[in-house]
Amino acid sequence: MKKYSLIAAGMFLALAMPGFASANEEHGPALKHAEIDLTDQEQIRRGLTVFTDVCMGCHSAKYVTYKGLMDYPEIGITREQVDELRGSNPLTAGLITELTPEDAKVSYGKVPPDLSLIVNGRRGGASYVYSLMTGFEHDDSGKVPDGNFNEYFPGKRIAMPDPFSWLGHDEADTKQLEQDAADVAAFLAFISDPHQNERQAIGKWVVGFLILLTLVLWRLKVEVWKDVKH
Amino acid sequence: MLDTIMQTKLFAWVDRRTGAADIIKSQLTEYPVPKNLNYMWNFGSLALLVLVLQIVTGIFLAMYYKPSAALTYGGYTVAFDSVERIMRDVNFGWLIRYMHAVGASAFFVVVYMHIGRGLYYGSYKEPRELLWIIGVVILLIMQGSAFFGYLLPWGQMSFWGATVITELFGALPIIGEYLQQLLRGGFAVGDPTLNRFFSLHYLFPLLLAAIVGGHVHALHVVHSNNPEGIDVHSDDQKINFHPYYTIKDAFGVGVFLTIYCYVVFFNPQMAGYFIEVDNYVPANNLQTPAHIAPVWYLTPWYTILRSFESKLLGVIAMGGSLAILFVLPFLDRSKVRSGRYRPMFRLMVVMFFVDVIVLGYCGHSAPSETLKLVGQIATAYYFAFFLLLPFLPMVEKTKPEPEGI
Repeated sequence: MKKYSLIAAGMFLALAMPGFASANEEHGPALKHAEIDLTDQEQIRRGLTVFTDVCMGCHSAKYVTYKGLMDYPEIGITREQVDELRGSNPLTAGLITELTPEDAKVSYGKVPPDLSLIVNGRRGGASYVYSLMTGFEHDDSGKVPDGNFNEYFPGKRIAMPDPFSWLGHDEADTKQLEQDAADVAAFLAFISDPHQNERQAIGKWVVGFLILLTLVLWRLKVEVWKDVKH
Repeated sequence: MLDTIMQTKLFAWVDRRTGAADIIKSQLTEYPVPKNLNYMWNFGSLALLVLVLQIVTGIFLAMYYKPSAALTYGGYTVAFDSVERIMRDVNFGWLIRYMHAVGASAFFVVVYMHIGRGLYYGSYKEPRELLWIIGVVILLIMQGSAFFGYLLPWGQMSFWGATVITELFGALPIIGEYLQQLLRGGFAVGDPTLNRFFSLHYLFPLLLAAIVGGHVHALHVVHSNNPEGIDVHSDDQKINFHPYYTIKDAFGVGVFLTIYCYVVFFNPQMAGYFIEVDNYVPANNLQTPAHIAPVWYLTPWYTILRSFESKLLGVIAMGGSLAILFVLPFLDRSKVRSGRYRPMFRLMVVMFFVDVIVLGYCGHSAPSETLKLVGQIATAYYFAFFLLLPFLPMVEKTKPEPEGI
């Protein structure tokens, strides 16, 4: 028993060990933890508002449709609210910014990335987004102009100008800005994988059933093997 | 239940035309298996299960997936968009896609355990050499299939992984450049590459299914090895596959599915090990990711490749590390099969398992001087393990094997 449990442990280590590697790969300061709850409809709706009011000035979320904003129970805004948001866009259109890629290149030097998958596509996920939003600082070395220095961004120089005007904000506003950043991180985390709550809800039943089934199969195995002498 | 079915008129009709009753008898209800197999012997049937899962989920994915690198809004492509459509809009598309993506990793977990068991208990030795060799062919096709499949979402890791691996073939002398262009369908990885990889990703599992048939057939000719590694002759030491091992395998399937479904439903990306973070970023041929690493199951071989300064030597070593598995049955000259009765071999093979894990760790991490040295030492041991086997019987004092099991 000991022998093959050793082998089994070793083989599973093969899976687990790279985990240490990625922890070492991270550079820059530790991320600030984003307080998000993907079952909190209020928070995700607030995040949607931040997204449409601030982010969508430059960024799109092309995989999220206006119809989706009504259909996903986690957002579930009304048809009237959707109509107000979409203007003349069709219901099935994605959340596309009005800033054209050409104009973006002129203004910022590059095209802002689509945010549909930004939380899945960045190490640190929602906490990275949250840290980035609240990470604009003054560069003491004076190399990077204010509004483009962000120590959470790889290379610390980011083309996106401080969207929440975090740098030099009033002390009294800190709480509100942090809340906005967390809310939009929650929204982006939700749209990265919009079926995740449904998936986990179903998963509880599936795994629960399988545990019971496995117990039954184990008893059956013991019963069938009763007459085998060792 | 099987008996009831076999007594029906319909079964008799089929039996007269196919000999089904004899097949069931010889392959299941009267197929003799040593009674002392431990749970390490469960991984073969699990591998078959995962193969079926991959084929079934893959067929459904192919109904919605579009292999085209044509650009769409926001720097995405038709292929990437179609995967996201599966994840978001297709009914239970997320389930099928996560089952397939997690299934790929699960397949390798199960198969590596299966191979590790074969190594430890000497299952590759006479008369099972060909059974082992067919297994190595299966491993290679699996790795190819996984590599082709990883290109399909057309994310950053898809693109750059395929670029790095196809480049390897370019390092070969004379035919290298031609081979690389043939694989890519052009000078760089692009739309033609995606199309042919999709075609091959569909072809390889068909080959797998056929060769797995051969693997099982070869097994049923030479029969299972066992933890003691001795030939089992007397009937009271064997039991019939059905019902004893069908129920034991079914229990193993239950345990496996519980873990597999836990991952699928609660942690399908496995923190970037099953679906890499960079693959959620659309492929961009102008922007190389900071660190390109293959998915975990290919990293040991990636380390062997990187351990050499010369690219050609690296490619040869990587190819050699897989090719040497083919000749393992002939390198190991010991008459004793099981590691239980071979103290030196047992130490060496356990070290080999650790070695492969170290290789995998090095291949997954960002390159550094220390890791490079560790990788080189691990590479050296990988080959040393195989090359020392022919000489081992000269110095190894094996323990006496038992008479029976």
